[in-house]
Amino acid sequence: MAMWLHELRERLLRAGVAPRHVRRYLTELREHWADLTAEEERAGRNPAEAATLALTRLGQVDELARTMIEQPELRSWTAQAPWAVLGAGPVLGLVAGWGIALLILWSGWTWFVQGSRTPFVPVHGFAIAYFGVGRMLYYSAPLLSGWAMIVLAGRQRLQTVWPVILGSLAVALLGATGAVDVQPPVIPGDTGRVGIQFFPASWQLPDAAGHALLLFVLVALPYLVWRWRSSRPDFESQ
Amino acid sequence: MTSRESNPNFMNGVPELLILRLLEDAEMYGYEIVQTIRERTDSVIVVGEGVVYPVLHALERTGALKSRRKTVAGRSRIYYSLTKAGSRKLAGLAAQWMSLAGAIRKTLAGGQYGDVVA
Repeated sequence: MAMWLHELRERLLRAGVAPRHVRRYLTELREHWADLTAEEERAGRNPAEAATLALTRLGQVDELARTMIEQPELRSWTAQAPWAVLGAGPVLGLVAGWGIALLILWSGWTWFVQGSRTPFVPVHGFAIAYFGVGRMLYYSAPLLSGWAMIVLAGRQRLQTVWPVILGSLAVALLGATGAVDVQPPVIPGDTGRVGIQFFPASWQLPDAAGHALLLFVLVALPYLVWRWRSSRPDFESQ
Repeated sequence: MTSRESNPNFMNGVPELLILRLLEDAEMYGYEIVQTIRERTDSVIVVGEGVVYPVLHALERTGALKSRRKTVAGRSRIYYSLTKAGSRKLAGLAAQWMSLAGAIRKTLAGGQYGDVVA
């Protein structure tokens, strides 16, 4: 990527322009530059001279950035409301992930082990894979929702660290204190209820604290490493 | 970059109006739009080559335009076209500008007439 395009991209993202608009803007500018260069070449200039003149016609990075930043419609939600997106977003993601995992558990209970007082009984064949998907989603939901938040913050080159820390903490605490709660069926032969219970009877503070710390580190560490790397003076040239 | 650069406030809203009007006739991509504006206005109005895109993106975001990617002669182009909402916006903007232009013309004519009389 040409240096001026790289500089423009970083400036727009840091200013809060939505990444998809930045990406398209850069594509369009690159194409426009090629068109202008071809036009200058047709006018008899050599390729190097044509490319330079085309760039001058296209505009300075300052002007190209300013006109884009001035459009409020093009700002991303992450830039407009980082606390909401990065603080509440991962929690909503976790709730959604757990919701799907519980749906899989409940439907598997209904289809494969109906009549049983709990879905946590030995199963065979396809049921193993079915419950396995639900289990994997349940355990990975805190990490996936946390990493999704990190990707959002990274894509936007977000300068504020606190929304990410808050989001990571929320996900870590919820992930460490929540557990699947199964209620046996009231009517024999029916399917019971599944849900999430926070601070269940089996909950132990040291275990939960260790779990929360692990989740927090796994979620926040990639972001903190990236922030540290991007703050180094040689990062731009890499 | 004559008019727009020399008096940007006066030109506020003009690129939007011209872009909407051009796209009413046919779908176009950025470079094509800038060249067509230059040709049709005899270079009196020159929209900044690169700064046409933020206007296009904003118009699309508000629903006045829609875009599609098309590969032409090996080049990937993003073509813009007018939506129904864009047509309504164009009608509103055009009416405003006609009214404004009429008022200015009338005022200028009055001024010239007054000068002659005096």
